[in-house]
Amino acid sequence: MKIRDKLFLGFSLYMLLAIIMAFFSYKELRSINTRLISVEVVDDIANSILEIRRHEKNYLLFKNEESLKEIRSYHIDLNKNIDNIKSEIITEIGTATYTMLKNTMSNYELLIDNLSKTFQSEEKLALLTGTTGTRIEHRLSGRELSDFLTLRRHEKNILLYKDQLNYEIFESFSPLNLRNDKEVSEYRTIVRKLFMSYKDEKDLTDNIRLKGRELQSITKNLSKKEREYIDVTLKKAGKFLFYGLITIILLGIIINIKLSRNIAIPIKKLEEITKKISAGDYSDLMEVKGSDEIASLEISFNQMEKKLLETKFSLEHAIQKLHEKQSQLVAAEKLATLGTFAAGVAHEINNPLAIINEKAGLMKDILEMAEDFKYKSKFLDQVDAITESVKRCRNITHRILGFARKTEVSIEVFDINDIINELKGFLEKEVQLKNIQLEMNLSENLPKVRSDRGQLQQIFLNIAKNAIDAVDNGGVVAIFTGTKDPSTVRVAMQDNGHGISDDALKHIFEPFFTTKEKGKGTGLGLSITYGIIKNLGGDIHVESEVNKGTTFVIELPINPEHTKGEIA
Amino acid sequence: MSTKVLIVDDEAEFASTLAERLVIRGYNAKAVYQGDDAMQSVKNDPPDVILLDLRMPGVNGFEILQTIKAFDPTIEVILLTGQPQTEGMSEGVPTGLFDYIVKPVDIGELIKKIINANEKRHKR
Repeated sequence: MKIRDKLFLGFSLYMLLAIIMAFFSYKELRSINTRLISVEVVDDIANSILEIRRHEKNYLLFKNEESLKEIRSYHIDLNKNIDNIKSEIITEIGTATYTMLKNTMSNYELLIDNLSKTFQSEEKLALLTGTTGTRIEHRLSGRELSDFLTLRRHEKNILLYKDQLNYEIFESFSPLNLRNDKEVSEYRTIVRKLFMSYKDEKDLTDNIRLKGRELQSITKNLSKKEREYIDVTLKKAGKFLFYGLITIILLGIIINIKLSRNIAIPIKKLEEITKKISAGDYSDLMEVKGSDEIASLEISFNQMEKKLLETKFSLEHAIQKLHEKQSQLVAAEKLATLGTFAAGVAHEINNPLAIINEKAGLMKDILEMAEDFKYKSKFLDQVDAITESVKRCRNITHRILGFARKTEVSIEVFDINDIINELKGFLEKEVQLKNIQLEMNLSENLPKVRSDRGQLQQIFLNIAKNAIDAVDNGGVVAIFTGTKDPSTVRVAMQDNGHGISDDALKHIFEPFFTTKEKGKGTGLGLSITYGIIKNLGGDIHVESEVNKGTTFVIELPINPEHTKGEIA
Repeated sequence: MSTKVLIVDDEAEFASTLAERLVIRGYNAKAVYQGDDAMQSVKNDPPDVILLDLRMPGVNGFEILQTIKAFDPTIEVILLTGQPQTEGMSEGVPTGLFDYIVKPVDIGELIKKIINANEKRHKR
């Protein structure tokens, strides 16, 4: 799986979890909020009941209309509130309790209504008792009046205490003189009714108190249940948040570990290897794992490192080549400077040499014309020696001037094989003299070159003569032609002569360096040869082993880019 | 009549000594050291063979050669040169010259060339 996909998946999972958590937390909070409203309503209900009960007390005490009105108004509120949270009440305390609550409420109302009616009838009865009693009192007199007044005292006790004992006292007081009085019997019946009403009132009051308490206990229970529910919900939400947070933290840690294993660790490794590469250590490669972006990065990195290494090698190679070329150039420059210098010296020496030659020649002429004298022959020998020395000097200056003063490079297209073949004619005398075997191994399809024919002929002649000088009588000198590559022609001249020592090889192209005996070589041939070949864009090198032979290899471009106009 | 040889070279010691040696060998040889003198001498007493150094200070040797040849084309000129192969001579001797000889001079070789030149002049 690609890292991009992994990252996307990881973060999506993370986000999803967070969203789910947020959603549930929100839901819980919302439900708690609703519950809190319910609690408020329940509290309102409880308060309403308390108010009702307070007014109930007042009503029982003062039997006033205001209290009754209050009770009724609270009752209506209560009913409304209960209807508002009907569903909650049902879920919290069950349908049965709800029904009971409603029933109790209506019972309570009914009882209050009854009580109010009872109060009204009591009032009427009490009034009637009073008027009837007063009327009887006005009609009676004497003993009858005094008995009736006693009866009325008992009546007052009933009205005051409303109890069974005073009622029984009232009933049991029945003087004979009043027994047949119809009005008194009426009065008695009214008082009896009043007492009965009192008894009803008491029952009702008890019942009302009971129902009131019931209501209170139900609301109390409801409130308790609501609070319990909120408690539970809060605890649940807390737990949910706690576990959710732990999950998110754990997931975060896991994603972090995964990411660091997949990205951070390879990148760290990449950094280490990069540092190593900077320090020139190319030994470490990235370990490629999987097939994600990091893996392809690792593959690319390894390829880059390989390329870098190749580039480094080729750069080092190029620098080495450059150094070689540079030293060759320096050498060529040195040789060219020396060549110019040598040519100048040679030219300047040549004229005095010519004078010495003529003077010595004249001396010899004069001596030959002169008569014999004691030292004549010795004198002649001296003159001859001077002439010989001049000849030696002449050879040197001529060689210097012959090579170095050949200034113009004249470029033409020709076949190297032709000038090699022409060498045979130049070398004939020496080859015969030393009985040398001259072998020609010429490539048949040698490409023609653009170069200086005359200079190359001089060079090949010079090297061939050196080869002949190096071999003993009956030695072998072989000349090969061929191509090094499609744009370079190669000429090799091999001999089986005495070879050149390593020390001498180092200096072989330096001017005035020679291994030949004094007077035989100027030490200029090879240095001039080197200069000319370099100037023609070619190259020359020697391989040699003492007593086995020497090979000179000359490489020439078929089509040189440019050639210097002048050598020296 | 002996062959008349004129040597033209700014190296007086060389030219005079060579002239002397040629005189010893029976030639009517004379040396001059400047271009003007050379022309004067040619006009006054035309030689058979001239030995000419092309490189002299302040004078163009080729101009002298041309003037000589214009005066008398039968006079043969042998070039005196310090270099074994002067420019343009690898293919032979340039126009107007009979031959060349390299300094320091081998007297035997020179005599041969003078004889040849003289023979050529008198064949005409």
